[in-house]
Amino acid sequence: MTSTGSVVESVEAGNATVSLGNVRRTYYLGEPVHALDGVSLDLPDGSFTAVMGPSGSGKSTLMNMVGCLDTPDEGTVHVEGRNVTALSGSERAQLRGTELGFIFQQFNLMPRLTAAENVTLPLVFNDAVDVDRRERAETLLSRVGLGDRLDHAPPELSGGQRQRVAIARALVNEPSLVLADEPTGNLDTGTGAEIMDIFAELHAAGRTILMVTHERHIAEHAERIVHLVDGQIQEIEQLDSGAHTGGSQ
Amino acid sequence: MKVTESFRISWRAITGHKLRSGLTTLGIIIGVGSVIVFMVLGGAFEQNIAQEIEEGNDEPGMWVHTQQADSGFGDSPFVRAKFFTDSDVAALESIDTVEFVAPSARFPVAQLTHDGHQRTGGFAVEATTPERLEGDVVEGDTFAAEDEIVLSKEATDLVEGGLSVGDEVEISFDGAGSGTFTVVGIVEPTSTGGNSLVPTAGYVSLSNYETTIETPDGNQERAYRDLIVAAESSEVLDQAQQDTLEYLRSDSDAAQLKEDEHVLKAQTVDDAIDQVGDIVDQLTVFIGGIAGISLVVGSIGIANIMIVSVTERTRDIGVMKAVGARKRDVIQLFLVESVILGAIGALLGVLVGLGFGYLGVSVIGWPMVLPTDWILIAVFIGVTVGVLSGLYPAWRGAKVDPIEALRHE
Ligand SMILES: Nc1ncnc2c1ncn2[C@@H]1O[C@H](COP(=O)(O)OP(=O)(O)OP(=O)(O)O)[C@@H](O)[C@H]1O
Ligand SMILES: [Mg+2]
Repeated sequence: MTSTGSVVESVEAGNATVSLGNVRRTYYLGEPVHALDGVSLDLPDGSFTAVMGPSGSGKSTLMNMVGCLDTPDEGTVHVEGRNVTALSGSERAQLRGTELGFIFQQFNLMPRLTAAENVTLPLVFNDAVDVDRRERAETLLSRVGLGDRLDHAPPELSGGQRQRVAIARALVNEPSLVLADEPTGNLDTGTGAEIMDIFAELHAAGRTILMVTHERHIAEHAERIVHLVDGQIQEIEQLDSGAHTGGSQ
Repeated sequence: MKVTESFRISWRAITGHKLRSGLTTLGIIIGVGSVIVFMVLGGAFEQNIAQEIEEGNDEPGMWVHTQQADSGFGDSPFVRAKFFTDSDVAALESIDTVEFVAPSARFPVAQLTHDGHQRTGGFAVEATTPERLEGDVVEGDTFAAEDEIVLSKEATDLVEGGLSVGDEVEISFDGAGSGTFTVVGIVEPTSTGGNSLVPTAGYVSLSNYETTIETPDGNQERAYRDLIVAAESSEVLDQAQQDTLEYLRSDSDAAQLKEDEHVLKAQTVDDAIDQVGDIVDQLTVFIGGIAGISLVVGSIGIANIMIVSVTERTRDIGVMKAVGARKRDVIQLFLVESVILGAIGALLGVLVGLGFGYLGVSVIGWPMVLPTDWILIAVFIGVTVGVLSGLYPAWRGAKVDPIEALRHE
């Protein structure tokens, strides 16, 4: 989990949680739109990667590709050593349920379920996991500072609290990879900083993280920043691995 | 995904929209409710008639009458013409398995007058023989002369001031003249008057009965519309019925006097009960059809709400898929929801139907019969309607693209 600072492409697929090989995704609306135009990227185990770029540059498309929600028109996607393009829809769903954790800009909690039930929602679709859900939810919500909000419904929580519930949900299946698309996009600066502290803890605990943001100071919590422009990687910027501790106070 | 999990989540969705869910199930409630009401009433009616027929006929026997030939639709009407002659009565009585034959000779009463007080219609007087009088004479004696009448106990208060032994009554019959009779006795009948809806007020001598017909042999004989043929015992009832029909269809005067399209029948109590059952069954099919229509309407209602529900929760579906829900999980979730709606509708319909049905039978005074099989059928139908109306919405939900759904503003 140490940042080597070397060229990312050289990391072997075996050590990478995620490996994209020359991925293309094109939308045809009259003219073809190349949302991703030949992207190759590895996410090494335990790495923390931020993605930045102008609106429409393909950040969310990249996210969906890594998150096994989308499949490429061309190229290869490997997640946890599995060839995603070869998987069926329900196999990809199972992969998401067991290996991935999603955090969204709009939190995306189920409005009729309590915080605790939202946290354990992924386990509902995963019959194999047999744990005390209540206990699991309590542990995770306490870890994000919401130990006293287990039975609150999402409408009764503030934006920052909702995002903490969403983070707890993303961690409930002990995922190897956490994906976050603009996790602080709907939060004020202070609350955003608190959320980034939690990300720092996750990173310290060895989780692989991929985070989309358009805010430089948020991106600086990561080890490196992938700059996307028009569906292509323009630059991979290596950050001083200590930078995030200094930048988050 | 465990079914219990989908119940928990679906139940949240349903209770989250109580009014909407309630209105949605209304069609099913009405459909199932009306079936159950009808089944309670129909069952009670059948049971009541069966009880009455059985109570009024503690002696094994059959009702011999003429009916229009079977048209193929429902029950053919009875023939009112009188074809059974005294010779037929005598011949039937000579059959070994037959105990006696009672010709029914009822006169509908137009008016009964006593001491200036009058009572108009609604009852009948039966011409019979003292031996055939079904009941216990509780006061006075049975009739001996042509101008004597034995009143049934309920008839004693037909006119103001009441009637008792020794009174003179003047009776005018519907289209059959009139006569003055002396009340000689009061009888507590054991029979409610066979299959007639009009109560029997009294009994007079058969000699009052004057309808005659020319027999095939050229004689004038009294003729009757129908006969009660009593069997020697219930063990030989079937045999008696066979023997009676055999005689009627071959040698009887009635066979020759009746029209070609008429059929001679000998109906036992069991036959009569079966027939009531048949009528109720036919009505059941009819009511079933109406209920079927309202169930179709109800299931369209559920399907409609489920489509709305899927559309509203597009984003939720996207979230669920992102966190690992497969297509079949989404289908299961929405199917369970519509099945819950259908089953709740059916259960409420059963309760409402039982309530109204119970109210109905207690007002009429019939026995309450729980239509157990129909309750089970109703619940089964509710679940089926739920599944059918949930299929398309669930499939739409399963098809939601999580990427699109999550982009949903
Ligand atoms: N479903 C779609 N149909 C057609 N075009 C699409 C679709 N999804 C994305 N695109 C196009 O692909 C390109 C990349 O979209 P994407 O959502 O990945 O951008 P983004 O970098 O996340 O932008 P933003 O910062 O605004 O979220 C855009 O030009 C977009 O219009
Ligand atoms: Mg985006």
